[in-house]
Amino acid sequence: MDEPVVHISGFRMDFADTTVIRDLSFDVRAGETFGFLGSNGSGKTTTIRALLGLYEPTAGVLHINGRPFKPEHGSRLGYLPEERGLYKKEKVMDVMTYFGRLKGMDRHSARQWSLAYLDRVDLAGKAAIQVDKLSSGEQQKVQLGVTIMNRPELLILDEPTKGFDPVNRRLLMDIIAEQKNDGATVVMVTHQMEEVERLCDRIILLKDGTSEAYGTIDEVQNKYGGRVVRIRHAGPIPPSPHYEVTLEETNYAELSITDDTDEAAILRELMDAGMVIRSFTTTKISMEDIFIRVYGEHNGSPAPAPGRVAATRGA
Amino acid sequence: MAQHNLGTVISFEFVRTVTKLRFWIGTLSVPVIMAVVFGMIFLSNTSTSSAAEAQKNAQFSISYLDASGLITPADAAAFGAVPAASSDAGIQDVRSGAVEAYFEFPAHPEATAVKAYGADRGLFENGKYAAVAQAMLARAVAVRIGSPQLSGLAAGSVQVETVTYQGSEVAGGMNSVIPPMAFLVVFYGLVVLLAGQMLNSTLEEKENRVTEMILTTLKPTTLITGKVLALFMVGLVQVAVFASPILIGGLFYRDALSIPAFEFSQLVFDPLRITVGFLILVGGFALFTTTLVAIGAVMPTAKEAGNFMGVMIALIFIPFYSVSLVISEPHSLIVQVFTYFPFSAPVTALLRNAFGSLGVLEAAVVIAILYVGAALMLRVAVRLFQYGSISYTRKVSIRTALKAGSRHAVAGPAEK
Repeated sequence: MDEPVVHISGFRMDFADTTVIRDLSFDVRAGETFGFLGSNGSGKTTTIRALLGLYEPTAGVLHINGRPFKPEHGSRLGYLPEERGLYKKEKVMDVMTYFGRLKGMDRHSARQWSLAYLDRVDLAGKAAIQVDKLSSGEQQKVQLGVTIMNRPELLILDEPTKGFDPVNRRLLMDIIAEQKNDGATVVMVTHQMEEVERLCDRIILLKDGTSEAYGTIDEVQNKYGGRVVRIRHAGPIPPSPHYEVTLEETNYAELSITDDTDEAAILRELMDAGMVIRSFTTTKISMEDIFIRVYGEHNGSPAPAPGRVAATRGA
Repeated sequence: MAQHNLGTVISFEFVRTVTKLRFWIGTLSVPVIMAVVFGMIFLSNTSTSSAAEAQKNAQFSISYLDASGLITPADAAAFGAVPAASSDAGIQDVRSGAVEAYFEFPAHPEATAVKAYGADRGLFENGKYAAVAQAMLARAVAVRIGSPQLSGLAAGSVQVETVTYQGSEVAGGMNSVIPPMAFLVVFYGLVVLLAGQMLNSTLEEKENRVTEMILTTLKPTTLITGKVLALFMVGLVQVAVFASPILIGGLFYRDALSIPAFEFSQLVFDPLRITVGFLILVGGFALFTTTLVAIGAVMPTAKEAGNFMGVMIALIFIPFYSVSLVISEPHSLIVQVFTYFPFSAPVTALLRNAFGSLGVLEAAVVIAILYVGAALMLRVAVRLFQYGSISYTRKVSIRTALKAGSRHAVAGPAEK
């Protein structure tokens, strides 16, 4: 098996008397898009910073391409930090050229690439504008451009869509997808669950300083109930060992299937109990539902009982 | 790659500084002010010398009394002066407007003041009375001596050239002090002009939240070294711009600006003192820069960092409180302390080097202190920047930041 691009093992991080990460281990494989999920303050950014050598870990191994990350190793890294910023008093083109050169491009290539990128993100006319004269969304675009300069092999994006409107969020997602198609490994810290479902191959959920769930989207969905049945109906829902009612409203309910029983058998069971079923659809538990289930209690908001799912009708 | 990045940082930092309008407004304001002052001196000198000449040759009605017996009627007639009947009469004539001035020469003008009474013509023009009274007396004395050469010598206008020897070699004297002293001037210029920029150089990354992108793109040592070298180059540009009016004035308008006659060819360039001066300049600049950069790395804002700038600037002026001791008693305790304390060492050692009282061994020790100190401060600055600058809004504990390398984190949970 190929060596993982990112390898974290036994990672612990203490800040004075506070333990932010207790024990964290995971790998990110070459070419995959990896979602790094967790509630606010769960230690995602701390993990990324420790991985990139910005923090000294209290314990553990954090490797990129088989060794601790150092910028002088020359690995092509694109990092979009949570704390965004550029040289505000400099012109857009000067800033992009500077970072391009630091990432190993020559001046001409850096300028050409920057012009093409700015054109793509509708900032072609702003190359000579001072960064702080741009709107915050435009600055975000420039920062993303700086991040993906010189075809990074590993892209680490900490909440990449923060501050983007829906149109530009879609553009950004397209650009990330392109990077992935070009062979980049992408690690994405995000709270946007639709991004996770759309882009990520595997994910990790971080809770209480350790891994709550880790695997492919399917594996994680299966862990949290997997299949959900949505019905529009008349009549009471009978109890069953094959499902749990996770949401019940007037003439609408969601049932979480708790064993291997197939959906057709569930439908038969409901109709045999005398229910009138007007619509019957099956789906997988959404990542958003999983997120709410995992972190709802953690954040003090009411969480669905184990095995229950907070449904979203339109999903 | 490191060398490429160092060059890139230097180029970026230098170009973005010198292409800013505010840099040139700040830099050019000094020579412009100097040019204005020189211009005023030029105009003032021109008018003063012509006015003095005019005053000396001024023609106005004069009466006089001479108790010394030096002024003959012929001398007085040359100035249109006529004898007064008495002191009171002379003064009364001035008061009544009968004459414009009355001079009273005492019996011993070499010891007692000549008294001049005149009609008030304003503060400046009133100077003509003293000028003409002196001219009358000088002419009378010259006539009495009978020789322009002796008159000149008697007036004390004698030039003396001193030649001293160090062993069998002619010593440079003041001409050997000036070249190494230039390093002190440049040091002051660099530190005073650039201290603010030094302090803010890493604060900018911090305040603009660029730190994380930078630290994952290049080594912090490369970044800080690049910034220090770029600052040095910016400082040299400023020093050159500031020096330009002095050079232009000295080369082309020396007489008009009353710049003392001075032959550059007479300057003595002692290779040892020049080398020592250069090494102390670079070492001292590096020490101050790295220290200010380190301070900037732990401060959350430029405002808070600014409080420390005054302290650093004060450190380079403190040796001047004992400048006479530095020159006359270089081996006194206080001078020795200033010579070897890293932050007062550059100024003290450059002064002593210029005046030739810094021995080779002492120079070597001072240079070692400065370079080792600069290297240590560079490491501290890098460490503080590396582990302190992503604590964006908080002042970083220096102790905690320095411990970061020994597996203790810097940022608090608030920034996790």
